[in-house]
Amino acid sequence: MLSIKDLQVSVEGKPILKGLNLEVKPGEIHAIMGPNGSGKSTLAHVLSGREGYSVDAGTAAYKNLDLLDMAPEIRAREGMFLAFQYPIEIPGVNNTSFLKKALNEIRKHRGDEELDAIDFLSLIKKQMKLVEMKEDLLKRPVNQGFSGGEKKRNEILQMAVLNPTLAILDETDSGLDIDALRIVAGGVNKLRSEDNAFVVITHYQRLLDYIVPDFVHVLSDGKIIKSGTKDLALELEERGYDWLLEKAESPS
Amino acid sequence: MAENTKQLANWIQDQLQADHDQNFALSAQTRAASLKILDAGVFPTRKDEEWRYTPLNTLLDQNIGAAKSDVPNADSIQTFKNAVPEAHHLVFINGKFSESLSDDLDSVKESGYTVKLMSQLTSDEQLQAEGTIRDAKLSDDNIFQHLALGLSQFGLFLDVANHTEVKTPLHLLNVATHEASTSLTNPVNVIHVGVNSRLKVIEQFVSLSDAQAVTIPASFMALEEGSGLEHFKIGLESDSTDHVSNTSVQVGANAHFTSHQYLLGSRLTRSNMEVGFAGPGASTTLRGIYLGDGTQHLDVRTYLDHAHPHCNSDQHFRGILNDHSRGVFNGLVLVREHAQKTDAKQSNKNLLLSRDARVDTKPQLEIFADDVKCAHGATVGELDEDALFYLQSRGISKEDAGLMLTRAFAAEITEDIGIEPVQEYVEANISSRLNELSLANV
Ligand SMILES: Nc1ncnc2c1ncn2[C@@H]1O[C@H](COP(=O)(O)OP(=O)(O)OP(=O)(O)O)[C@@H](O)[C@H]1O
Ligand SMILES: [Mg+2]
Repeated sequence: MLSIKDLQVSVEGKPILKGLNLEVKPGEIHAIMGPNGSGKSTLAHVLSGREGYSVDAGTAAYKNLDLLDMAPEIRAREGMFLAFQYPIEIPGVNNTSFLKKALNEIRKHRGDEELDAIDFLSLIKKQMKLVEMKEDLLKRPVNQGFSGGEKKRNEILQMAVLNPTLAILDETDSGLDIDALRIVAGGVNKLRSEDNAFVVITHYQRLLDYIVPDFVHVLSDGKIIKSGTKDLALELEERGYDWLLEKAESPS
Repeated sequence: MAENTKQLANWIQDQLQADHDQNFALSAQTRAASLKILDAGVFPTRKDEEWRYTPLNTLLDQNIGAAKSDVPNADSIQTFKNAVPEAHHLVFINGKFSESLSDDLDSVKESGYTVKLMSQLTSDEQLQAEGTIRDAKLSDDNIFQHLALGLSQFGLFLDVANHTEVKTPLHLLNVATHEASTSLTNPVNVIHVGVNSRLKVIEQFVSLSDAQAVTIPASFMALEEGSGLEHFKIGLESDSTDHVSNTSVQVGANAHFTSHQYLLGSRLTRSNMEVGFAGPGASTTLRGIYLGDGTQHLDVRTYLDHAHPHCNSDQHFRGILNDHSRGVFNGLVLVREHAQKTDAKQSNKNLLLSRDARVDTKPQLEIFADDVKCAHGATVGELDEDALFYLQSRGISKEDAGLMLTRAFAAEITEDIGIEPVQEYVEANISSRLNELSLANV
């Protein structure tokens, strides 16, 4: 589904991703962990098509399409979804009409009929229960004045409504209380299927108790320096990153 | 200067010569001072600070002719009437009142509410109307205001008696029609709202087909103690029209004046609004949007005179400028020495949608009192890249995302309109204008 080979990305001339490889197959959940500033969000942004990054080498294929050559909205319509580490506030744009527009763009692209207001409302009501979000947040401008946790739930609500094939969750668990964490994880688990995949970026092993990954990768200084199963996350929790970093630095 | 650069001036001279044959809106006495100023014929240039950013060549070069004022058929203006379904409609064709297209004047007025054409005033009413004009602090160098005062043949007088709430809004629909040469319309309107009374007026300016028109209205409004006036101006004239308006408002003690201006049309728009507080506790809310495309030029000027203590003013204007259009915002808030406890807010935000669009904004505060709360600010920006990307990342095209953000930018002003159909109408017009834009540089 997603195949990243030797991806090298720089920002304003500064190399950030330095030869990253990642294979994600349908039905899999991959967790990416790693120190602050190692390039996790950069990877998420490059994959979703944000401007300002220069791809210096490497490829990223998604469903056999050249991902890096597609406009961000086309990636989304093809089933990619990024839950932002810092969701953007958009004053004046109503949360519901924004999400309806987004869903219908994706449906149009797939050749499905657009949903009218009534069908959309019943869909969104159902998905709001999934993330236990307060209904008045739907009437507000997108993320404006939302608490940190509300913003994250709103990301998961959008994910639930848009029903992506590949979802990248960038620290969706940061800033969530334990209850919210369970709800967000519950949302992911409900959406999980044989046909879709998740890349979950997180700093906390705790999340992985709820969303059990098939693979855990450690991203450091722009490269994946170690991959393993969920046990790797437990080991990182205990030992930190230092032992890995030392190993990576000393060419043996 | 070449001969043909004085077309408007020539037209004025012709009118001055033919003075005796005409029926003017105002009395000879009131007109006299304005005629002198018109006879001197000094038009502002860009050397005048007030006109620094706004060239008048095109306006002054118009070949002005007499309007035949054929009355268009009712269907052609129905959509404009629909803008304000629950209102009384008065229709003016190239400035001239159209009885056949308007509601019956007798049905509009009610007890304590006078709605009359300037030409039909009793001598008492004439005195009152001209008193309101005289109370406005006219400046000699505002030649466009004097063009209306001195030479207008048309106008409307609205008077609400004390303690009267007029429930039905009044919709003034000004229609420019196609003529062989450019038609000039210079109405003088006077609105007087009595003690503790209420009135809502919606003024709309439109043009049919490719009407060439110059519209130079002068409005005078007076609010007595404790009264309220809500005034809406919707400018939708075509891009072969020029529009220069002057509005002068006196707000009495504890009275509240609300103004909304939606300036979406015309090749050149200049809107000058001067609000003076005539007693303590007076307040005003001014809102506006100017939306430009092509080579449109939109110039909004406000002047607020805080002459009494405990008065509030709250101004918020937003500009949306695409292509090669140009916006100007010039707002001056004057807080006089004894105007303690003044609360004055002024905000001007501009959104440039193209590299060639431009805005000059100049919010100004002149404060001579020491115990006041004043805030002002201006911003000029582009569409927010992060917000654009966020929308795109959800499947919305960049162009649609740009439209959504631009509509949202405007909605923060229009949501305060307070009359639902008017709000919907204005928002629909803004949306359709935005849909026409090629947001090439988004
Ligand atoms: N626009 C930018 N300009 C300059 N440097 C940038 C820019 N964006 C990212 N970087 C740098 O790239 C590096 C990687 O940033 P990134 O946000 O990808 O880290 P991260 O792994 O997500 O960190 P965190 O765990 O703190 O979220 C950092 O050193 C950051 O400062
Ligand atoms: Mg990050």
